[in-house]
Amino acid sequence: MQHAEEKSLDISQGPYVPVGSAEYSAVVTFLYEEAALLDQLRLNEWGNRLATDLVYTAPLRHTRLGVDHAQSFVRSVQHFHDDYRSVMGRILRLSGKSAWAEDPPSRTRRLVTNVLVRETENPDELDVTSYVLMTRSRFSEHHVDIISFERRDVLRKQADGGFKLAKREAILDQSVLGTANLAVFL
Amino acid sequence: MLTKTSAVLSDGTKISDLIYPDTREVQMRVLSDPEIYELEMEKIFGKTWVMLGHESEIPNSGDFIVRDMGSDSVIVARDKAGEVHVTLNVCPHRGMRVALTDCGNTQIHKCIYHGWAFRTNGDFVGSPVERECMHGKLLEKSELGLKKARSVLYGGLIFATWNIEGPSFEEFLGDAKWYYDMLFLRSDKGMEVLGPPQRFIVNANWKTAGEQSAADGFHTLTLHRWLGEVGNYSKKGEDEGEGADLSPEMIGVEVSSPHGHALRCIDLARKIRRLTGLNPDELSVQEKLKALPPAGMTQDMIDQLANNLSEDQLKVLTSMPPQVGGMFPNILFGFVYIPQPDGSVVGSMTMHTYIPRGPNKLEFCNWIFAEKDAPAELREKMLKQTIQLFGTSGMVEQDDSDTWPHMTLSAKGAMGKHMTLKYQAMFETGAPEGWPGPGIVNEGFTKDDTQWHWWLYWNELMNAE
Repeated sequence: MQHAEEKSLDISQGPYVPVGSAEYSAVVTFLYEEAALLDQLRLNEWGNRLATDLVYTAPLRHTRLGVDHAQSFVRSVQHFHDDYRSVMGRILRLSGKSAWAEDPPSRTRRLVTNVLVRETENPDELDVTSYVLMTRSRFSEHHVDIISFERRDVLRKQADGGFKLAKREAILDQSVLGTANLAVFL
Repeated sequence: MLTKTSAVLSDGTKISDLIYPDTREVQMRVLSDPEIYELEMEKIFGKTWVMLGHESEIPNSGDFIVRDMGSDSVIVARDKAGEVHVTLNVCPHRGMRVALTDCGNTQIHKCIYHGWAFRTNGDFVGSPVERECMHGKLLEKSELGLKKARSVLYGGLIFATWNIEGPSFEEFLGDAKWYYDMLFLRSDKGMEVLGPPQRFIVNANWKTAGEQSAADGFHTLTLHRWLGEVGNYSKKGEDEGEGADLSPEMIGVEVSSPHGHALRCIDLARKIRRLTGLNPDELSVQEKLKALPPAGMTQDMIDQLANNLSEDQLKVLTSMPPQVGGMFPNILFGFVYIPQPDGSVVGSMTMHTYIPRGPNKLEFCNWIFAEKDAPAELREKMLKQTIQLFGTSGMVEQDDSDTWPHMTLSAKGAMGKHMTLKYQAMFETGAPEGWPGPGIVNEGFTKDDTQWHWWLYWNELMNAE
């Protein structure tokens, strides 16, 4: 459909970093390590991977007709609208004594796939899109909450060869989320 | 089965027997029983005024949003003359949903199934192939429109009811209106949404959230204890208690009404003292407004208040402003003053509805507001702060939405459902001397009275004819 192509306009149009190349593998490794840190509740270590100018957001989604597809992404009120300071504040709270929404903690799996990496105008930064299927199990509930989203990240290269997360937009699929809160990071 | 005096459940239990007035208890069965839930859809959500959104969500002719009145989907649309209409989102032909999106713009709502078409006010326009008269000749066209609800705007908030001949919205608010006006009618231009609402599902009965929004102060001390442990709330002025002690925030005036509405008016003196270093008792109303404008307003905007509020209201607004509370049955409001790292204060203006989605499920719907003429910088700060503290990812309300499912599970136990919710912390104070406002008013450390009054009105409606 014609309008389906409009969606890709706000993703960088730089050349792809080839799948399987050394740089691509480094990016995928960063994403896998990050998923492990979050799933293993090593939040402070995850925090060390965030750039201090981080922009961290999660738009609302609306059910719209196909012709209005571009308006299905709502970036006024969002589910997350954070920066480095507020994300570190969240980590501080979750590491404290009384963050009951995640204590006892959820058991989560962040399955990260469909990773595409593009170069940007800034030689130190890469645009990275990926799909995430996150399962969240709480208490003795036999069903898990499924949180599915696309990440649109900007990773910034570091002198040591690693990356820092400079930007993350998590594009959730549900217009009405099927989980009781987002006390977990996307 | 219903009798004139009391609704009776199929096992013979009267609903009124689940409420114990002498000991102020509510049997937990009310939080899980499917039969009670079905009755609520008729007797509560079919009768009271229900909040659906704010008119700033549909600013233009033809704009519409799809919302819920209890278990029914409704279309909220603006017509060419600018008027807002609420109609049942059910095609009168074969019951298909007419509007399938969350929002949009159209002058004609056309059902995708057989093509029946309706105006923004619900009037039937016609069906395809006019000469074949798909809609028949048995009923007049005027009888084939979408079912219309009675609706009203209050401070731009859209309320509707199916109770066409019932009490007016003003009667419904009753004495509590005097206080709500301080929030929703205080400025010249009024407030507007900063975007569409956040929506998410909590596996809990709607009343777990509903009764809490009737001004449950005590839960803040324990469930939200982190506010005193980390972050800006934990930084206290001299003589204000240490660290995690949130008890000074519990002191104020609590207002309730025979219609289950509730407001916590929290003492502002400490905040003014901290910001100005002055004794608030020696400041005039104007000086206090200047020192600490109402949540969401700036110093430049405070002159508007006198245009819209009485002197008595201004007195309350500058000493004991309503900050959190609810409107019966399923609304929470928060107009709160949030301390910042630099010692200043930024307001948050938020409202929620807890939409029933079955006995064990609710949809949490969260709107974020600002005054229309608030400066852009303030709006941006309010937007970010409110998202970070309230709603989906809000650091405060995360803990609430993880609590209500457990209460709902407890209420399903064969023994658990016979246990009770207790509202036995009772005020023995009454209104402060010289308190100018109406309603059931008590001062001091928070108590359970407002929530108990919420249940009394629930009981009254459930047993009404």
